[in-house]
Amino acid sequence: MPYLLRKFLILLLTLWVAVTLNFILPRLVPGDPVGAMIARYQGKLDPSAVDALKLAYGLNDQGGLLGQYFAYLGKLLRGDFGRSIGQFPTPVSEIIAQAAPWTIGLIGVCTVLAVVLGSALGLYSAWRRGQPLADALPPLALFLNSMPYFWFALLLLYLLAFKSSVFPLSGGLDPFLTPHSPTWWVSLLRHATLPALTIIVTSAGGWLITMRNNVMGVMSEDYIAFARAKGLSEGRILNRYVLRNALLPSFTAFGMALGFVVGGSILTETVFSYPGLGLQLYNAVTNLDYPLMQAIFLYIALAVLIANFVVDALYALLDPRVRDGKAA
Amino acid sequence: MPQTEPHARSTAKPNAADEPAPALILEGLTKVFQVGRSGRSVTAVNNVTLSIGRGEVLGLVGESGSGKSTIARLIAHLHEPTSGAMCLAGKPVPRQLRGRALTRFRKDVQMIFQDPFASLNPLHTIGYTLARPLEIHGFARKGNVQAQVSTLLDRVGLSPGASYAAKRPHELSGGQRQRVVIARALAARPELILADEPTSALDVSIRLDIMNLLLDLRDQEGLSMLFITHDLAGARYMSDRIAVMYAGYLVEIGPAERVIGQPQMPYTQLLKRAAPKPEGNLNAGGLEAPGEIPDLANLPPGCPFEPRCPHARAVCRAGLPRMYDVGAGHQARCILHDPELAAQPLLHPALQPHATL
Amino acid sequence: MKGLLTILRRSPRAAFGVGLLAALLLLALLAPLLTPYSPTSQAFGTWLKPGGEHLLGTTALGQDIWSQLVYGARLTLLIGFTAGLVATAIGTALGLSAAYFGGRTDEAINVLINVFLVLPGLPLLIIASAFLRGGGVWSIILVIALTGWAWGARVLRSQALALRNRDFVQAAIVSGERPARIIFAEMLPNLAGLIAAGFFSTALYAVLSEAALAFLGMGDVSQVTWGTMMYWAQARGALLQGAWWWVAAPGLCIALLGTAFALVNFGIDEVTNPRVIHEARATRVLRRNRAAPQAEPALEPPQPLLAIRHLSAGYVTPQGPVRAVRDVTLSVAPGEFLGLAGESGCGKSTLAFAATRLLDAPGVVFDGEARLAGQDLLALNPAELRRVRWKDYSLVFQASMNILNPVLRIREQVYDAMQAHGVQDRGRLEARARELFALVGIREDYLNAYPHQLSGGMKQRVVIAIALALEPKLVVMDEPTTALDVVVQRQILQEIDAVRKRLGISIVFITHDLSLLVEMSDRIAIMYAGEVVEEAPAHELYAQPKHPYTRRLMGAFPPLEGPRERREGIPGRPPSLAQDIPYCPFFERCPNHLPGTCDVFKPARVEVTSGHSVACFLHSPAVKEEAYAAD
Repeated sequence: MPYLLRKFLILLLTLWVAVTLNFILPRLVPGDPVGAMIARYQGKLDPSAVDALKLAYGLNDQGGLLGQYFAYLGKLLRGDFGRSIGQFPTPVSEIIAQAAPWTIGLIGVCTVLAVVLGSALGLYSAWRRGQPLADALPPLALFLNSMPYFWFALLLLYLLAFKSSVFPLSGGLDPFLTPHSPTWWVSLLRHATLPALTIIVTSAGGWLITMRNNVMGVMSEDYIAFARAKGLSEGRILNRYVLRNALLPSFTAFGMALGFVVGGSILTETVFSYPGLGLQLYNAVTNLDYPLMQAIFLYIALAVLIANFVVDALYALLDPRVRDGKAA
Repeated sequence: MPQTEPHARSTAKPNAADEPAPALILEGLTKVFQVGRSGRSVTAVNNVTLSIGRGEVLGLVGESGSGKSTIARLIAHLHEPTSGAMCLAGKPVPRQLRGRALTRFRKDVQMIFQDPFASLNPLHTIGYTLARPLEIHGFARKGNVQAQVSTLLDRVGLSPGASYAAKRPHELSGGQRQRVVIARALAARPELILADEPTSALDVSIRLDIMNLLLDLRDQEGLSMLFITHDLAGARYMSDRIAVMYAGYLVEIGPAERVIGQPQMPYTQLLKRAAPKPEGNLNAGGLEAPGEIPDLANLPPGCPFEPRCPHARAVCRAGLPRMYDVGAGHQARCILHDPELAAQPLLHPALQPHATL
Repeated sequence: MKGLLTILRRSPRAAFGVGLLAALLLLALLAPLLTPYSPTSQAFGTWLKPGGEHLLGTTALGQDIWSQLVYGARLTLLIGFTAGLVATAIGTALGLSAAYFGGRTDEAINVLINVFLVLPGLPLLIIASAFLRGGGVWSIILVIALTGWAWGARVLRSQALALRNRDFVQAAIVSGERPARIIFAEMLPNLAGLIAAGFFSTALYAVLSEAALAFLGMGDVSQVTWGTMMYWAQARGALLQGAWWWVAAPGLCIALLGTAFALVNFGIDEVTNPRVIHEARATRVLRRNRAAPQAEPALEPPQPLLAIRHLSAGYVTPQGPVRAVRDVTLSVAPGEFLGLAGESGCGKSTLAFAATRLLDAPGVVFDGEARLAGQDLLALNPAELRRVRWKDYSLVFQASMNILNPVLRIREQVYDAMQAHGVQDRGRLEARARELFALVGIREDYLNAYPHQLSGGMKQRVVIAIALALEPKLVVMDEPTTALDVVVQRQILQEIDAVRKRLGISIVFITHDLSLLVEMSDRIAIMYAGEVVEEAPAHELYAQPKHPYTRRLMGAFPPLEGPRERREGIPGRPPSLAQDIPYCPFFERCPNHLPGTCDVFKPARVEVTSGHSVACFLHSPAVKEEAYAAD
């Protein structure tokens, strides 16, 4: 299918750009990058860690920049992301493997909930245009969508964990619980509630606005006028005519939105010390753990790209025009 | 109603020897578009050869997708032809034009678009729109641009010109806008005007005024004109000669009276039968041509009209028929004009021809 | 500037956004006037509560929080605006170049945009800032702009591509304009709203990104911004100390700034993309005496199927009502084909939509009645209307690209009209759909197709098939074939004619093409400026048009046969329908008008010969009594 093939090629290209940025960035630091990094640790660094750092940046190779680049690509293809400096000598991939499920679970569930909630409210706001509640929703959504993630997270933390301790202050689980036992599940959910609430409240606003715009666009189409003239019931028009068409552009918006949500979740995890990739990234940044930082970036990029590709494939399933290779 | 004869000139032609070169000659003009990213190619204009004499109006008739607008855009160098040659006033025009040569060429060939609501930039005043071609082509001397713009507006019937120059397009009616578009085309003092359906977006009550204006300008300025339309009656009203296009091919060309009065290609006959005729009856003359225009990416191997043609013979499917001479200056792309081929049996007897050649 | 004022006037939301933005800007500009303290001075007590000397209390280091807030606005806004500007400049340049140069350039830029769109912005920002640490504010602005330009570029590119194909850009190219001038003088000004929207979106992104980076301690935390304020508040454990205002104030300011940007955007979109929403409601009826006059005694022996009496309809606009249909009385007999002709804007479509209660807001019916088989359509409530629609009468709209739902199969769209009116049996639905397709000349297998797989002519046949699905007594057709080519038009018209003769349905056919109507209709009504000025059997109207307007309209079509002679159009334009017209609406354009009569009185429509009525003083001296007073 040419459409999916094209999307896949763009995925590969984007991945290559991310990988290459990763290669270039350390080399943008003026002078000797490893030297500059080591200087920042002010001598607190293990000599073997220094070697690992040199190895990670291919600076022990005597080859030119191009040689270093290919060596770097080769290592990536073997899944070798080097060793963490901050938690030396744990391999970076191990740290990621531990943290990733937390983030994927949190973002995955929250994104689905935010999309459903936001789109439903957006649909309501457009469909019942002119009613007070429907008209009050968009400005509210704009405000929620403009809040800094971490700020809202801090407020929730202060009100619901610090002041009233309804929810735990930090972490992902209480210690010493039997995995998958009822208490374990309760603890998991209690820890996830505030981070999830943060992500859902701040991102659902964006979906509301997107959906509202789409619905308004669809409602001005000729096929809606025709459907009304046919005497179709409101429910049918809403379901088969408005919703089916208005959901499609939301899919294109999904890719961009996902990037924002991932960014937001990094901050949210930091505030709640939720043990996912965001917290690891934050720790890596504060510990100047460059290999970990870069690997997390690559991992996040890859995950977002794959999610995007899946959405593009779904889009092709839902829109007959795309299936036939015509631009929608 | 005062009635004058608008088609009086160009009857007495000088001898062929000292006749000036035609305003435009197209030789084998072809345009292939690549569609989207799929690599599909569509032949919009297929090996078209025709000419427009000095001071002549050539009507170009066809349905949507026939390639008639693409021809105008190829001539105007809005698209680059895939192959073929073009001569303007006897001088060959290179297929690729750049820089000064392109600007000089643009001075000589001007275009009038279909929709006057779309062809004027809503943000510019009429004065700005008309002053630009004067400035680009070096007609504007300091201080007299305003005067020239007013004169142009007066010439297209928008008087007093100076007051119209200060307006923006949204302040004018459709007919007035189309007059401004015509004035813009005249500003560069072109040799050839390409009018792409200049009246079809206008109200019926205004169409004749715009057509009359174009005819008057042709008479006064000796302009040559390509008049593109889907309306046979309008083409007859405007044109000295008429060319008919189907699926990218030129299928019939000849004097307007003959092409409309006695069409010699089954497709032209179909067009004529389909045109509204108040004196006629809706169902008089069946339309024995099922289906629609073929997919341009997947044309039939022979005559493009063969799958719909009630007169088709096996030979029509074998290859593209050539243009046959069917009268003075009148040619048609149909094998029925070859008695030998016409004797072959019908390919689609089910189509039951009512009309005969 | 004028554009901005229009937006503010028409969109209260945008006006509020601009007000909010102005307030925050003033906060930044007037900082020295709003606070006596320096934001960095640590001269005060630590952890002071809000109130008194210190409006928002003090920090852990003894800085005045209110001072930090107003001075912090400066750098925050600077970063937001500058990063927004840089990103918008990049996006605009790339989007416009892609659209203007097209081909490979466009393809390359499009891929670049797509790559940057899906590259997660904040993680990239974080690692970029981690490496470029110490570069100061400007490196942060640059990095934010470089990760945030793609969104604006994407929207701009698609709009600029559409603009590139607009005729006025093509016309500028043909007149010899150079690329730079086409891009900057023709295309750019028409994209101003979009560019502004892109700017505000990226400015919001920039402010949020700066705050996020600062909060993670990656920016220059020695500078005072709203972001760094929250960093220090968190670092010093403000919430643990209960000093929630230290966190709340800067965050709220950021959220308000973002809301202001978004509201302005919202307003720009509202004003530049006005949409006619096809509302759920039926057309509003403002008829004053709800007790409709009892059905007048049937005058003609065959009771008319559709009887429109004294119908006035139009649009309510902020400038006042526009009466597009003025006191129209018209009837359609069973099995009759009535043609309704006139120039665009004469009210012919408004009449049809108002009489069938399908006129979208701001359209309204001012007065009159429309009875279908004795039932007043204007008195029905929406639920009753929905039951009557399609069963008793149906409509065929102008053949437009989007007349059918693009994501549903044709079959479902044929079925649902019948299902909505009680036909549920799959077998019956299928049989009827096949029957209908045979009736309008489409192969049955197109039932499985999607609309984009059909040509314009086929779509219109499908629409006609759907209109006939429940065998309504009346079908109203609004320019059903105008967008189609002549051959397809003729084929469809012949099918319509055959079907209506077979089924005995009445048709109201609206078009501007009078020559077509004469061929098809039993009777023709000519509309001008909202009124029916002449009505007669088709062939009589063609042979002996009485109204000067009809005569000139007939002459406006050049013939296919006969002598080629010069003909004249109709000079002038119809009067504005926003005003009262207490005289003959055509008199200004009429070559035969009687001074002192036509421009003073309004002619009544009078039957001058059997079945032929005309509203013209040349044919009858009857003066029309105005049925309605000026509103």
